[in-house]
Amino acid sequence: MSISGRAAVTRGVLLRLREQLEFTKRGQELLKMKRDHLAAETNRLLAKVVMRKDLDRKIMEAYVSLKEAYLNLGYSGLLSQASTVDKMTVKVRPRSIMGVIVPEVMVEKVPEIKPISSPSAYKAAERLRGLMRELVDLAETESRIEIIAYELMMTNRKVNALERILIPNLLELIRYVEGRLEEESLEEFFRAKRVKQVIGREEK
Amino acid sequence: MKKPETIYLITRTHGRRTHLLNPEDFNVMAKSRSLSEAVNQLLRSDYAVEISKLPSREVDSARLEMIFLKTLVDRYFTVVKDARGKVQEFFRAYAARIEIENLKRVLRAKHTGEPIDSRNLIPLGREHTTINFPALLKAENVEETVTLLKETPYAPLSGRVEAYRRLNLPIILESLLDKIYFERVLERMDGLVDVGSLRWLVCQEVDLRNLSLIFTLKLMDAPPRLIEDTAIPIYYKLRRGVVRRLAQGRFEDGGEILAGIYSGVLDDVSKRPGDESRLEVAISKRIYDNATFALTNFFLELSYVVAYMLLCEKEAKNLVTITTALDLGVSEEVLRSRIL
Repeated sequence: MSISGRAAVTRGVLLRLREQLEFTKRGQELLKMKRDHLAAETNRLLAKVVMRKDLDRKIMEAYVSLKEAYLNLGYSGLLSQASTVDKMTVKVRPRSIMGVIVPEVMVEKVPEIKPISSPSAYKAAERLRGLMRELVDLAETESRIEIIAYELMMTNRKVNALERILIPNLLELIRYVEGRLEEESLEEFFRAKRVKQVIGREEK
Repeated sequence: MKKPETIYLITRTHGRRTHLLNPEDFNVMAKSRSLSEAVNQLLRSDYAVEISKLPSREVDSARLEMIFLKTLVDRYFTVVKDARGKVQEFFRAYAARIEIENLKRVLRAKHTGEPIDSRNLIPLGREHTTINFPALLKAENVEETVTLLKETPYAPLSGRVEAYRRLNLPIILESLLDKIYFERVLERMDGLVDVGSLRWLVCQEVDLRNLSLIFTLKLMDAPPRLIEDTAIPIYYKLRRGVVRRLAQGRFEDGGEILAGIYSGVLDDVSKRPGDESRLEVAISKRIYDNATFALTNFFLELSYVVAYMLLCEKEAKNLVTITTALDLGVSEEVLRSRIL
């Protein structure tokens, strides 16, 4: 059903509709800007995700070292060596990109592996520690992409809705109201003329 | 002339040695397609009783490791129980290596305040140790742990706490524990028969432990002075001067410095640069090769018993390696290269 079917036809409504159209067009422009910015940000982040392949290879190498440490020390021995290493601490804080809240992960403390007293455990820990920052970066990038991609999809939908439905409907409504108002003013003009004619005839 | 109780101990050990798994058993286990297949082969060994207590779905390498370590403890203390007098004192001191390993585990955990309980330790019965491990496990930090050890042979640890705190390296305390252990073993060795072969076996182990310590610290780029200070100050073939040269030289020069002393120990490591994890295997192999040598050459001496104890340790390590490898899906080729 068309919007025009429900609209009251007054000059006040026409003014409000024109204001609404102006506002909607400005909103559409802003959403387009947001969409472009988010798309640019996604492209930038996608370039970072390329490192995943390299990281997968490094993880496999580190895993081989870890297996060797397990073979040399057994579970309890390696667990004991691992207990000498402090836990890595990271801080996750929210960051806004065009109003989209994405996580920003900051590594606060990188574990010190020097307390490890077994060469194989040390080697495995060295490889794994080198990967931790890259893993955190990748996790941050991937979660950002996920959030931004969702927001991009929603923004796109909003832009499309404004462009294809809301603005055309408003334009149609304005045209309808303008037409009706013009008709009403013509009717009024005609009525005034007729009244004038009738009064003139009576005076004669 | 040996005392009858010493001859009894050596003879009993000859009998017990037949219970050890041989290299062929390890090879067959390494060929297993699954952990359960390997475990089935252990059902014909000393481990059968403990393994059969485990429900089959609960069999994993971590649980099996505890069984292997428990059997190792039992074997050690059976030797101690069979010995008499000074010989018993010596073997009690020698078996304290398990207590030392547990102390190291406690200290490592206390270094970071990581929770630790008795399941993280080698299952050593209260009757086999004078250390109050339950109290140590409850200690807040390294300082408290060391304080609790004041009335024990490990009291000298308190003297190194400051250096440990300054450098933040538990290896400083671990090397002191090794020093205390080996000094006690060597002290108890005095006055025993067959001291020559016993000293050869124990002191070579000290040297090899020192090598492991030196190269581990070199791997961490520790300063030469720290390496020299941390090394166990018991020198046999590895003289103080050699330790200094190793501490000051590069990792790669180690093979050259050790030529004629412990040639070949670093061969496997230097063949694969960057794979220093092989160091542990190479050093352990050398220690157990010495034990095998003692087993065939000193078969009527007390060093035969020490060699047997070392081979028990080797067996436990090999079984841990095999079951862990099968659990982690390590290839047979890699596994074979890791068997001691």
